[in-house]
Amino acid sequence: MLKDFFLLAARSITHRRMRSWLTVIGVFIGITAVVALISIGLGLNKTVEQQVSGVFGVDTFVLVPKGSFGPQSHAGGSSEQYALDLQFLKSIPGVKVAAAVRQRTGFVQGPTRADGTSTQGFLPVMGLSTELVDEFESFTGELTVQPGGRLFIAGDTDVAVLGADTAKRLGAKIGDSILVAGDDKKELNLTVVGIMTPSDEQVSTGSSGGFSAGMTSGQNKDTIYVPYDTMSLLWGESNDVLVTLVRTQPGADVDEVADRVQKELTARGSEISSITYSDISDAIGTMTTTVSAFLAGIAGIALLVGAVGVMNTMFTSVLERTKEIGVMKAVGAKNSHILTIFLIESGLMGFVGGVVGTLAGLGLSALASMFIGRFFGVQMAVVASPSLVLITLAGSFSLGAMAGLWPARRASKLLVVDALRYE
Amino acid sequence: MSLLNLKDVTKDYKLGKTVVRALRGLDLDINKGEIVAIMGPSGSGKSTLMHILGCLDTPTSGEASIEESQIRTLSESQLVALRGRKIGFVFQTFNLMQTLSAQQNVELPMIFQGTKKKDRAQRAVELLTKVGLADRVHHRPNELSGGERQRVAIARALANDPEILFADEPTGNLDSESGGTILELLKRLSEEEGKTLIIVTHDPDAAAIAERIIRLRDGRVVEEEVRNA
Repeated sequence: MLKDFFLLAARSITHRRMRSWLTVIGVFIGITAVVALISIGLGLNKTVEQQVSGVFGVDTFVLVPKGSFGPQSHAGGSSEQYALDLQFLKSIPGVKVAAAVRQRTGFVQGPTRADGTSTQGFLPVMGLSTELVDEFESFTGELTVQPGGRLFIAGDTDVAVLGADTAKRLGAKIGDSILVAGDDKKELNLTVVGIMTPSDEQVSTGSSGGFSAGMTSGQNKDTIYVPYDTMSLLWGESNDVLVTLVRTQPGADVDEVADRVQKELTARGSEISSITYSDISDAIGTMTTTVSAFLAGIAGIALLVGAVGVMNTMFTSVLERTKEIGVMKAVGAKNSHILTIFLIESGLMGFVGGVVGTLAGLGLSALASMFIGRFFGVQMAVVASPSLVLITLAGSFSLGAMAGLWPARRASKLLVVDALRYE
Repeated sequence: MSLLNLKDVTKDYKLGKTVVRALRGLDLDINKGEIVAIMGPSGSGKSTLMHILGCLDTPTSGEASIEESQIRTLSESQLVALRGRKIGFVFQTFNLMQTLSAQQNVELPMIFQGTKKKDRAQRAVELLTKVGLADRVHHRPNELSGGERQRVAIARALANDPEILFADEPTGNLDSESGGTILELLKRLSEEEGKTLIIVTHDPDAAAIAERIIRLRDGRVVEEEVRNA
């Protein structure tokens, strides 16, 4: 019997083709918006996670100044730099490699020119652990130096790598010697071993974007890079660390090691917070979920408008078919039969809108992915999970049926005599 | 044997604030297998009477019974069941589903009774053949003439093999030739199948096939004429 009711409902829909299509379009727009936004939201989440895990690796965590990450990051009072005993950090169980970046402003004097003059001034000096380059390439990205130069290698001390602008301003070439002065009249003559490639010439390679942009572009173009230990020779113990990267021993629980490191370093006066992959992933998850929910909420409004369209069409349909309903009742249809036929009819319109909308929504999110890929160089994943599709299809049928419930009830309650008299 | 029985039946309608009394204490007996015509001018209560006899409506007062069971004591769903099994309707304006073929229209009452698809289809074709539309089975109503549409309606009315056939102005929308054909068909089928046929009509030709003519005026029976048709 239900199959026959489906047939009756389908006949009625196709009989009023124009109006049915317009109604379906209303649902379709709503469903398209919901599916596209959810799919894009999921894709974004997945992509960001992939990016983060590509950079971060699940065995790595970062130490940043206390309060600079997470919910309290805007509460104020956080310092930008912190003190760190790198040797002690390396000795904490579970830590395999640790590398830090520290920064000061120092007096710098460029190489003496032929006429006996030289450029001098105060410039930012950044100390990089040599492990940073060897072990954490995914963080630093492809730090590249201009041809003929090199980055730091283990054992380097009296060497420097210059930012492209700095080299120009100081008039320094590879092999030249520059003077850098630290605290307490400590000063070192450092040999320039490399000059950074200007950032606009650096090739962006997707997931390895990492820190390299920050290290070679913008304000850092006029920076002088020295090995971490050279920093210690000039300025003594560090209380000027910007960031520390830690890789754990194979098999160690990253979050556990991060907690331990944070506790032990805090006890020694380091004002730090640790950020693990799961912290970032949680933060991203919360953020993208919030954004997705917000967008889906907006799309929900479109869906609501679609549902009102179905309701309107069904009311019109009930009115138009009053006599037909009377005839069906006269030939033996129960109220429940009429109710079912009309619910199926509105549900079917919702369902068709759902099918078209799901396809269009997925198409739209694939298009968005292509667009993002082309203009931002990020390969965004298209998420078309079967559960999303199934839930949407079932949901769109129920949406239609629910929108049709009131008109269908009205149809089923019509008195047969009144319905037959209706002109 | 009395199939339909009315005793002092009244029916009131509310039209806005005024109450219209359509039937004013009406007594009537209709026997099984009879062909009865109910005649009367507009507003005489013909249609109201048919609605009550056809279990489409209930009286305001008085007693109406079908096969000894009081209509007023039946629940809505019992009335639906009764209509579905025992009563077939033929309307003046045919009232076929425009979206369905002739066969599907005839199958409709059987769908609501839960008849199996195969049995339904077989019965529908059989009935359409009986009314002379064997070659019009798959046509939609808008592809049929008025007379053909009314024949489909007759086949539909017979679908569940009812005991009583009501025809409300069955020739009202037809020319005299197809009207005549329809009347002959109604008479032949009700006699062949042993149905009780009740025709509500203005048309003296339609009434002419009846064995008994009941004339109404102002909600009352004013004349009964027994004929030897």
